[in-house]
Amino acid sequence: MSSFFQKLRWLRQRSDKEAELHEELQFHLEEEADQRQEDGLTEEEAQWAARRELGNVALVEEDTRAAWGWMRLEQFGRDAGYGLRQIRRNLAFSAIAIATLALGIGGITAMFSAVDTVLIRPLPYADADRLVMIWDDLTKSDGESKFYSTPAEWYEWRRLNTVFTDVAATTSGDAAISGDGDPEQVPARRVTGNFWAVLGVRPQLGRVFTEDEDEKGVRVAVISHGLWQRRFGGSPDVIGRIITLNDQPYEVVGVMPREFFFMPARDIDIWIPASFPPWMRKNLTWHDAHIVARLKPGVTFRRAKESMAVLSLQVTAKDFRGPHSVTVTPLREELTGKTQTALVVLLCASAALLLIACVNLANLLMSRGAMRGREVAVRAALGAGRGRLVAQFLTESLVLAGLGAVAGLALAVPAMRFLETLVPETMGTVRITPDWRVLAFSASVAIAAGLTFGLVPALRGSRLAPQEGLREGGRGTAGARSHWFQHSLIIIETALAVVLLTSGGLLLQTFQHLRNTDLGIRSEKLLTFETPLFRYQDFDRRVAFVNAQLERVRAIPGVINAGAINRIPLTVTDQATFYLLHGQSRDRIPEQVALTRVVTRDYFATIGALLREGRFFDISDRRSESPVAIVNETFANRHFPGRSPLGERFKFGRTGDKGYWYTIVGVVKEIRDRGVTEDLKPTIYRLHEQADQSGDQPSGIMVRTAVEPASIVSAIHRAVWSVDKNQPIWRIQTLEEIVDRQLSTPAQSTTLLTAFALLALLLASLGIYGVLSYAVTQRTNEIGVRMALGATSRDILLSFGRRGLALTLTGLGIGLVLAVIAARLMTALLYGFQPRYAMAAAVVSLVLIAVAALASFIPARRASRVDPMIALRNE
Amino acid sequence: MRRDAPSRVELLQGTLDLLILRTLLAGPAHGHAIAKHIQRTSEDLLKVETGSLYPALHRLEAKGWIAPSWELSNKGKRARFYRLTPLGRKQLAAEQSKWEAFSHAMALILNPVDPEEQ
Repeated sequence: MSSFFQKLRWLRQRSDKEAELHEELQFHLEEEADQRQEDGLTEEEAQWAARRELGNVALVEEDTRAAWGWMRLEQFGRDAGYGLRQIRRNLAFSAIAIATLALGIGGITAMFSAVDTVLIRPLPYADADRLVMIWDDLTKSDGESKFYSTPAEWYEWRRLNTVFTDVAATTSGDAAISGDGDPEQVPARRVTGNFWAVLGVRPQLGRVFTEDEDEKGVRVAVISHGLWQRRFGGSPDVIGRIITLNDQPYEVVGVMPREFFFMPARDIDIWIPASFPPWMRKNLTWHDAHIVARLKPGVTFRRAKESMAVLSLQVTAKDFRGPHSVTVTPLREELTGKTQTALVVLLCASAALLLIACVNLANLLMSRGAMRGREVAVRAALGAGRGRLVAQFLTESLVLAGLGAVAGLALAVPAMRFLETLVPETMGTVRITPDWRVLAFSASVAIAAGLTFGLVPALRGSRLAPQEGLREGGRGTAGARSHWFQHSLIIIETALAVVLLTSGGLLLQTFQHLRNTDLGIRSEKLLTFETPLFRYQDFDRRVAFVNAQLERVRAIPGVINAGAINRIPLTVTDQATFYLLHGQSRDRIPEQVALTRVVTRDYFATIGALLREGRFFDISDRRSESPVAIVNETFANRHFPGRSPLGERFKFGRTGDKGYWYTIVGVVKEIRDRGVTEDLKPTIYRLHEQADQSGDQPSGIMVRTAVEPASIVSAIHRAVWSVDKNQPIWRIQTLEEIVDRQLSTPAQSTTLLTAFALLALLLASLGIYGVLSYAVTQRTNEIGVRMALGATSRDILLSFGRRGLALTLTGLGIGLVLAVIAARLMTALLYGFQPRYAMAAAVVSLVLIAVAALASFIPARRASRVDPMIALRNE
Repeated sequence: MRRDAPSRVELLQGTLDLLILRTLLAGPAHGHAIAKHIQRTSEDLLKVETGSLYPALHRLEAKGWIAPSWELSNKGKRARFYRLTPLGRKQLAAEQSKWEAFSHAMALILNPVDPEEQ
């Protein structure tokens, strides 16, 4: 402590100390000289001897000052101040340097903040990394390796597993709230009583429900923070209130905190007990449950996987489809999905951009370092040691990096708004903000960048021998080695730019492919909404209601047609069933799975689907025990390759004796209603009036309009409510909006990667330009000599142009090889599409060569215009 | 033991501090005098480089082991004299016994006592 105060005191007496030190050393010199004189030297000789003995006074002073402490900090401050002065003096250089750094640091900071939010920050569950999800692996029967599990399996797994502390299940249960206030349809989940304990979450208010309540089927509900605020004004007396869900009374027992969310979507508003009925606990084909489980302490993920695979085979041994295995995945992976790959790829891209920025700056600093040869020589002659010079150069680099980081943050913060749309819908609503982690990251990146681009120029710049630098017109700085180094930098940045450009090209092709994928639906001016039909459990009443409301909707001015289906396209959770063709043996059933859709007569016409053969449903199709069906091309090609399936008969859903035989009357061209990026599957469509053997209800309404879809929303409400004023309507959106949302991850990642790639191209070409211009400036004399000896302007132009091109081509070659590796890393972002690498590579090569040629041409032309007289007069 | 003509030996790392403290035990002295004293007393075997002497003096001062004051030298010039502080005295004792133990140990290893000679 005392030494601390001593230092403080010294700091105050700073200038006195300097003077004293100087006097002390002066005294030493005189004393030494006196002594030498006594030894017999002349006065002058003695003084020189003393000086030689003492050595470099400035260095001794500096070393001594270092003993005072604070020295380094002070030096740093002085160097930083000097750095700032340098920046002001070379405004053009500094502006380029800071802008380059701002792009690099800003890009990586923004990407890091997104990665941090989505992949790093803790999930709102206790010990979230111990949570896994379990899926049925139905590869054999259905082709799906990750399918919903059944409540029956959940029941058995929970009872028999040895690797989890507990296993919970959730199933869908969207509900209409009525009673107090306007009727409102909300997303809801049915969850088992142990759900809360498995996740390790607590309510913000009240309590969660118990296993006992789940078991007994008690009607209680836990609501989301959002619903609490929205519908109940955030009032604490919501606890104990009775609300009506799908016409049944539930007691609100708890409110979850704002940050809570769980699969499958962030906007779930109500959780009620699953209360699986006894029959469901035995039915191994009722696939509609998400299963989440917590690993026992000490159990590894791998062991859990192996153990569950065995247990699943045992549990499903009696399944008529044959036993199946399970897929176990970490919960975080489920929540982040493809976004994870997209974010990692984009983070890598931003790192590459930063690296290019650093390489560019290193080159700029090297060029400038050579011009500062005299300054360095003077400093060295005045007693600056090598370490001191390196420290000074590095400090200047750090000052630049610091300013770059500040400018970068200014770029990153608005970019974060854009990146928020990258957060997957499965995760909670988040704001990406520059919190302390992001700031710390940005600061360390700036320091690392400053050292990266500053170190080599500093080491090189400080190596200069004083006498060489001091010589008038001396320019012995740029030897072959420095060229070699600068050239490798150019090659590195060109290669990185090529990798980014090529990857961007592949993503662009993929996105184009996704965009142009024929959905089998004319998506423009198609409005969709849902009308939950829980109030129409009676089949005849339901058919009547659906037909009546469609009739009213069609009557709205500006509406061309309207139809209904059990799920809106592209929002489908797969609804699949087994089927049996007429004449087939029953053994075939387990391997024949098709998606089923219940539609109204006008559905196909409304969405603009095309017919391959036969007909769509028409007025002749009435409720009957020999109903008709329309199948898609995949179904037809699977069973009737090369011939018409019209008139063929099959059973599905109920394949037993009571099941109807359906006759195929039409084959519809593929409708990609499972998702733009999903595979096609055999699909069966049946008319809702003939679907009395199905639980599927045509609640998804599609409306084809002649006018702007948004303009008829209120008319739709009036039309539906004119049939039933209590009918909930929700999720009103256009099909185009749904498609956009589906493509948002590929759209965003493509946009961002392309932006990074173009910036990389810009920086790389600036780099080539910078290095060649510097070479021209430095070699003006040489050019003059060559021209005097008979070289033409053309020779000079070619010699410089060739060098720029050679560097570019080398970088291009390396980059194209690296790009192949990069493409492999981002396979997940290609959605199974095989983009044409050769085409991307060809386009990138052409663009790069064109840009590089321009970047080389400008300095090369300047070289060819050197006037030998002027150049040589400089000598 | 044979004596060679004096040839300089390198100062061991960390020994300069000890030498300075020991020199000041005799009384206050300025930097030049301290250097000459060490050189003379060691029969010219040790030469203190000015480049390390002054940093060392200022370091010891920062630690509070020695204290400076401006006084007149015997030639009547103003010089910065250093004297040992009580703290420095303690430090010297500690360093010295450490050094003695060390050199004793070194001697034991380098010149093992031959029992026959005793």
